[in-house]
Amino acid sequence: MSAALVVGLLVAGGVFLLLRRGLLRIVLGFVLLGHAVNVLLVSAGGMQRRGAPLLGETEADVAADPLPQAFVLTAVVITFGITVYMLALARAGDPGATTGHPPARSDAPSLADGSDRDDADRDDATADRGRRTDASEGGAS
Amino acid sequence: MLLVLALLGMLALAVAAPPLARRLGRNTGYPLAAGYLAVAALLASAAPRVWAGDTETASWEWLPSLGVSLSLRLDGVAGVFCLIVLGVGALVMAYCPGYLAEDEPHGTVYLLLTLFATSMLGLVLAADVVLLYVFWELTTVCSFFLISTAGAAAARPARQALLVTAAGGLALLAAVVLLTVAAGTTDLATILAEPDRVLDSGLAWPIGGLLVLAACTKSAQLPFHFWLPGAMVAMTPVSAYLHSATMVKAGIYLLLRFSPLFAEESAWSTALISIGLLTAVTGAFLALRENDLKGILAYSTVSQLGLLVAVIGVGTPEALAAAVLHTFAHALFKATLFMLAGIVDEETGTRDIRELSGMWRAMPVTAATTVLAALSLAGVIPMLGFVSKEYLFIGLLEAEGAPWAGPVALALGVTASVLTFAYAARIVHGGFGGSEQHSDVSEPPAAFLLPGAVAAGLGLVLGPAVSVLSPMIVSAASDVAPAGDPPEVYFWHGLSPELAMSALTIVLGLVLFGFRAPVDRALQRLRLPDAGRLFDRGHDGVIALGHVVGGPERTSSPAAHLSRPLVAVVALGGVGALVVGGLPSRADTDRPLDWVVAGLLAVVVPAAVLTGSTLAAVGLVGITGLLVATWFLLAGAPDVALTLMLVEVMTAVVAVLVLRGVPSRFVRSPRRAAVPAAALALGAGVAATLATLAFTGRRELSAVGEHFLDSTEEQTGGTNVVNTILVDYRGLDTLGEAVVLGTTALGTALVLGRSERRRTVTPGARGDAVLEVGGRVLVPGMFLLSAFLLWRGHDEPGGGFIAALVAGAAIALNQLTHGSGTFLGRLTRPDRLAGAGLVLVVAVGALPTVQGRAFLTPVELPLLHALGIGSTFLFDLGVYLLVLGLLAAAVTRLEQPDRTAADEPPGPPVTGPLVTSGVPEQAP
Repeated sequence: MSAALVVGLLVAGGVFLLLRRGLLRIVLGFVLLGHAVNVLLVSAGGMQRRGAPLLGETEADVAADPLPQAFVLTAVVITFGITVYMLALARAGDPGATTGHPPARSDAPSLADGSDRDDADRDDATADRGRRTDASEGGAS
Repeated sequence: MLLVLALLGMLALAVAAPPLARRLGRNTGYPLAAGYLAVAALLASAAPRVWAGDTETASWEWLPSLGVSLSLRLDGVAGVFCLIVLGVGALVMAYCPGYLAEDEPHGTVYLLLTLFATSMLGLVLAADVVLLYVFWELTTVCSFFLISTAGAAAARPARQALLVTAAGGLALLAAVVLLTVAAGTTDLATILAEPDRVLDSGLAWPIGGLLVLAACTKSAQLPFHFWLPGAMVAMTPVSAYLHSATMVKAGIYLLLRFSPLFAEESAWSTALISIGLLTAVTGAFLALRENDLKGILAYSTVSQLGLLVAVIGVGTPEALAAAVLHTFAHALFKATLFMLAGIVDEETGTRDIRELSGMWRAMPVTAATTVLAALSLAGVIPMLGFVSKEYLFIGLLEAEGAPWAGPVALALGVTASVLTFAYAARIVHGGFGGSEQHSDVSEPPAAFLLPGAVAAGLGLVLGPAVSVLSPMIVSAASDVAPAGDPPEVYFWHGLSPELAMSALTIVLGLVLFGFRAPVDRALQRLRLPDAGRLFDRGHDGVIALGHVVGGPERTSSPAAHLSRPLVAVVALGGVGALVVGGLPSRADTDRPLDWVVAGLLAVVVPAAVLTGSTLAAVGLVGITGLLVATWFLLAGAPDVALTLMLVEVMTAVVAVLVLRGVPSRFVRSPRRAAVPAAALALGAGVAATLATLAFTGRRELSAVGEHFLDSTEEQTGGTNVVNTILVDYRGLDTLGEAVVLGTTALGTALVLGRSERRRTVTPGARGDAVLEVGGRVLVPGMFLLSAFLLWRGHDEPGGGFIAALVAGAAIALNQLTHGSGTFLGRLTRPDRLAGAGLVLVVAVGALPTVQGRAFLTPVELPLLHALGIGSTFLFDLGVYLLVLGLLAAAVTRLEQPDRTAADEPPGPPVTGPLVTSGVPEQAP
């Protein structure tokens, strides 16, 4: 019962973050969803037996199912790898971060600010960018 | 062998065309024509045998598991089509130099034309239905490219032609698949020789329908006829070759070929006769309305193909012989007429018969040639067209099914022929008649005229001498009408009914021509539905529909892409909740501490989700991770818990590195914008909770788990069951995971740029003495701990993942305190670590294969065994190196100072470049 609530909580939080603006939130939402699936997998193995599957310390007849644990261990590490890669992409995907120039693509999502869903926002952004271009050129010369 | 030589010869000609064209320019057509004739001669050497009822074959295995082979077969009917393809091809090639512009190379045109000829040859020679389909599509593609060479104006007709004929191609593919299913073989000869296999399978109707559909699109039958007049934008040699003599005859070939299978079926006959005659009359009628020479000829082709389809539908040996003969005659006179239309166009600059008049004075030879070809088209004695039309009449009269079928079919055939006579007369009269003088127009060069003249002359000579063709026609007709004996063809039938029909045709045609002025006016006033326009409207509609359907995807917002699958998930959950019922009750397994963790999560997760601060979000998600790790610990999974804790630490380190220079708050969006997201999130959460309740808590330990617990120690010597599963039992899964990690490591390193090249040494701890001293003490200790964890992983919590995460933390700490460029930094280059790890895991995996054992079988190593090191340890070490490579990539590359802010002191976030829009600090 508690495991189901934990899964639901993590899924709800992860989905909410995925749907918000900002690449960082999407990465964090992905992490939460990863947790949710891992909890589901382990609880699918059964929560009755909870001894650590270490044969030196636990008797085999009270040890928890090791197979879901092995799955989840793999999943945790892969989730981590993907998370790092997504963070790297989020960082590299913002051309302003690498070149100091305003982004070439007007709809490129950035870390803290997400999408181009709102036309009004986009217009504002374009205007902002125009100002910044002026400023940076002025600074360069 | 002969057939392969012929096909390869054509292919060689195609390949040779562009280099030849660079040297010879437009005159490339002459050697190509010679080549076509040579290939024709090669095939002709087999003619006596084929006419004697033998066949020439060649076969290679292509897809043996599917029973598909690359097999070719030359029989009578294929022979006729080969002759048309190569003979008309040679004429058109010889015609091209006169038609094409002088100072351009035209390599592409010659290449495409010859590739087309190759495909067409392959199509008629194919003895396997799959191969037949492949060549069929190749002709479609060649036709598309050849139409497209006419420039921008050709875009729409080329697209129409492609879509219509390719749709037919798909129908053919479906038919081929069904045929293969029904007959159990792809061999054409077997399918045709044993018609019962198909006819008794229940698939006969769909197969027949699809074949008719394919043939109707390719041969421009109603209602698909519109693409052919459109295709006239292509240059005239293409129209003469593809769109009158050969490619459009592919449909005729297909129908002839499958005639043995379906000729006895009344549905096949009825469909073909109705479609064919309707098309014949409509096409001739439309031709009479046209003023453009090529337009008239295009509709004429549609009409003549209709007659052919109808007579194939009749399906008697006489009718099929008539179809073969008329196919041959039509190729001759229609190609001639196209070539002459091209000459008129070149010499006078127009193809509109209203503007052309009196050309016979300026171009008497051209005029005479045109008259010959037009007489053949009109079916006037003694041309070959006359003979073939006589046989068509004989064939149509044999239409069965109802007592009135034959006479009605004949009447419609005669009607089409009357109209044909009228527009043939219109071509001659409109183009060359009249009394106007043209001083600026002259006869074309002899070489330009010759190919057309040869074809027209053949039409004249072969009329009376039609018995020469008899063996060819009889052998072809008996191939497609195995049941009966096709008649010999001869010129004079005596005073027969068909002669009366021909006479009637000519008389009525003359009458129609005599009243041409009122007929013209009446025809021009008619408003007919334009099938091409309808097709375009449908096409535009499909594009518009695609625009609407694809609309929501045309954004870079992840939310827009994710919301629909998420809605589907929620809907699935809802359906599941409604449908699934009566589950056995769950065991209550909760313990008090579970609820404590769940309660803490219920506070932390909403906070992590709702905070506006980036740093807080990262921190709170990290705490969530630690709580989940605690939950794993409570669930009896210490390895997972330990790994997750370390992962959370490293995730936080990486995220904080990424966050440098990024505004400290998320952009603020209006509260109502979050409402749909919140609703969807709640729905997904409820669905996930219900699913978890439904899927868990109802069974004992799994059999596999029990097996691992019972036998791990004796089989592997390890006591940490989870670790032994990873490295001993499920090594291949772990190898796959290692590959994923290696990929992300290299990807991260690449995405973040190669920093080593610059050899910059970045400042270290930035004056923080505590951190610096702490780093010096802790880093070596952490590496020792890491080695220890790796070492003991087989028996106790630890292993490659966990050990690498500890080492990664050490690297991060070292990076923070000493910056890059240190000894450790150089040692832990991510690409080297990941590469070494990947090589190691694969090498260890491959080791047992040397002894002939399965990939990844654990083996004992000669010297290391004494130290307690097995191959599984080395495998774990490879995983360790891979994870470390990923961490090093993230830490060292992200730690690079912003290229824009290299000299700025750390402190307030770098504004400007990193803030792309909607700067949150300025938000009200």
